[in-house]
Amino acid sequence: MQRGSQARKYRLQGAGLDLALPYLMLAPGLTIVLGVLVYPLWDGLRASTRAYRYGSPVADVGLQNYLHLWSDAQFLNALWVTVKFVALSVSFEAVLGFALALFCLHEFRGIRLLRTVLIIPMVITPVVVAIVFRLIYASDAGMLTALSKAMGGGEVQILGNPLNAFIGLVALDVWEWTPLMFLILLAGLQSLPHEPFEAARVDGAGAWRVFADLTFPMMRPVLAVAIVLRTIDAFGTFDQVFVLTRGGPGEATRLISIYGYDTAFKFQQTGYAAALFVTIGLVVLALAFSAIRLLRRVDAS
Amino acid sequence: MGSVVFKNVVKNFGALNVLRSLDLAVPDHKFLALLGPSGCGKTTALRILAGLDMPTAGKVFIGERDVTRLQPRDRDIAMVFQSYALYPQMTVADNIGYPLWIRGTPEAGRKAKIGEVAAILEIGHLLDRRPRQLSGGQRQRVALARAIVRDPAAFLMDEPLSNLDARLRLTMRGEIKRLCQRLSATTIYVTHDQVEALTMADLVAVMQGGELQQMAPPIEIYDRPANRFVATFVGNPPMNILPAALSEQGVTVATGIVPVDQTRLAACRLAEIVEIGLRPEDCSVAPPGEAGALQGEIYVVEPMGNETLVNVRLDGGNVQVRAGRDFRGVVGESIGVAFDPANACFFNSAGLTAVHRVNNNGRVT
Repeated sequence: MQRGSQARKYRLQGAGLDLALPYLMLAPGLTIVLGVLVYPLWDGLRASTRAYRYGSPVADVGLQNYLHLWSDAQFLNALWVTVKFVALSVSFEAVLGFALALFCLHEFRGIRLLRTVLIIPMVITPVVVAIVFRLIYASDAGMLTALSKAMGGGEVQILGNPLNAFIGLVALDVWEWTPLMFLILLAGLQSLPHEPFEAARVDGAGAWRVFADLTFPMMRPVLAVAIVLRTIDAFGTFDQVFVLTRGGPGEATRLISIYGYDTAFKFQQTGYAAALFVTIGLVVLALAFSAIRLLRRVDAS
Repeated sequence: MGSVVFKNVVKNFGALNVLRSLDLAVPDHKFLALLGPSGCGKTTALRILAGLDMPTAGKVFIGERDVTRLQPRDRDIAMVFQSYALYPQMTVADNIGYPLWIRGTPEAGRKAKIGEVAAILEIGHLLDRRPRQLSGGQRQRVALARAIVRDPAAFLMDEPLSNLDARLRLTMRGEIKRLCQRLSATTIYVTHDQVEALTMADLVAVMQGGELQQMAPPIEIYDRPANRFVATFVGNPPMNILPAALSEQGVTVATGIVPVDQTRLAACRLAEIVEIGLRPEDCSVAPPGEAGALQGEIYVVEPMGNETLVNVRLDGGNVQVRAGRDFRGVVGESIGVAFDPANACFFNSAGLTAVHRVNNNGRVT
């Protein structure tokens, strides 16, 4: 048989189509990213340096919007409420999630079902969760009031009372997002080698010492990642508050996201709102970076 | 220090019967190797002794104290794990000192003791490192140091050498043996490596299928195996087993008749032996056709450098023969296999050794 290889044209590596192919394949994805991510980001930054009237830019104000934020009492209050909300929710979620994960690490009958059930809140649409909680909290026909009346008490004021509304909001967030914490921490616990724990039991450690000397130190990286994730996420909480309280009563539950929304769409201060969200974005970014650096240092020491 | 006793210990995992009534007594200060193939229950036995698993039935004693239901920490033991099980977040010094720290030993005493055992295991320069900065052999030393830092009633070792490379395993084997002799501590050492068991232990307990097959000093395990399993599991290359039939003059093996002296022949008759066992080093190659030798042909030749392993195909099966380093045979050639029947042992139909080898080379049987 005649060998056909003489007639065949070889395509050389690193030349012609072979050279261009990676770029050609990247092009569609890159275009989409530029269009929906980079351009809006740039546009937002540009908007944050302008003043708007009736939805149209009327003047370039430079960094005026950014400076104004720090003398805006409503912004400062929203920031404070958000920080309180994030700190409280995420701490409760971390502690509860860790406890549940430790409990669900044991193998017993029905554990698979329990693990599944524990994850359900996380997969329900947040708006639906908020609607259900509004029904629970409602002072007239709500579940809590019904419960209180059955026990001989009066109406329970949750959403009408500033402190109670804030606590109610934290409770909602804890209910909904503890499962995420639980899931991440359970996966972390399950990936730990089990021999060191047996070694510690033989070496003389009781349950508490095993936790304090082994489980917690070994889980610290996972815990840090979970907390950073939840913190970033909690800073952006919007839908639950929007459905539950719209930021009220007064400004008790007005998170930064709600205030920004109001600024942009109620008060039509587009430029100012843009500056607000850019600032919050930077704060969250700084938080995330410092958390990751902290994590690295713990890991390296 | 203390003796270790298993009394009718049974362990089931669901329907799986891992230990069937294990009875084992290790005298004080002895080094016992629990030897067996994987899945024989040796690690389960060790974990029950450590308190990491509970026996389904039976009792465990350490130093005459019933520890069956005690927590691991109350058993006064130290354990070395196959994977070393070091505490990853702690330094080497903290790892070694942990058993002392948890018992509230004051810092000065703890430091002195850590330094002492680190010196014994030659890891003094590693005390500030973390486990992941150590090599496998160093981790192994740290795990040993952590075990010997206290003075427990018994040391438990679960295949401590199996994660090391072959060369390091040889070195550590000798070191652990020296260490245990120096400490003179009761040691239970689980291994699937018969060489480790033979070289290190005062006593070897061979297990299979959740049952103890034989417990004896290494030489006796090797020379007088209780049954077919022990005979073939211990020894490398393993003992050759060939079907054997009784005849007037002796025992018929393959196509040849092996002359056996009258008293042993009588014992063979009485026990109705069915198989003969021959260690490869008790066989030798002989020119084809030599009287008294079994006739076969060369199947595989494996030069080892110091000797040559020859696999010879006989009528009743293959046998491994240890030949000299200058052996030059070609596959397919006819060859004879010669041996002294006094070195052979015989198994009955139940697989038990009915007739042992006769004392030779001045060894005590």
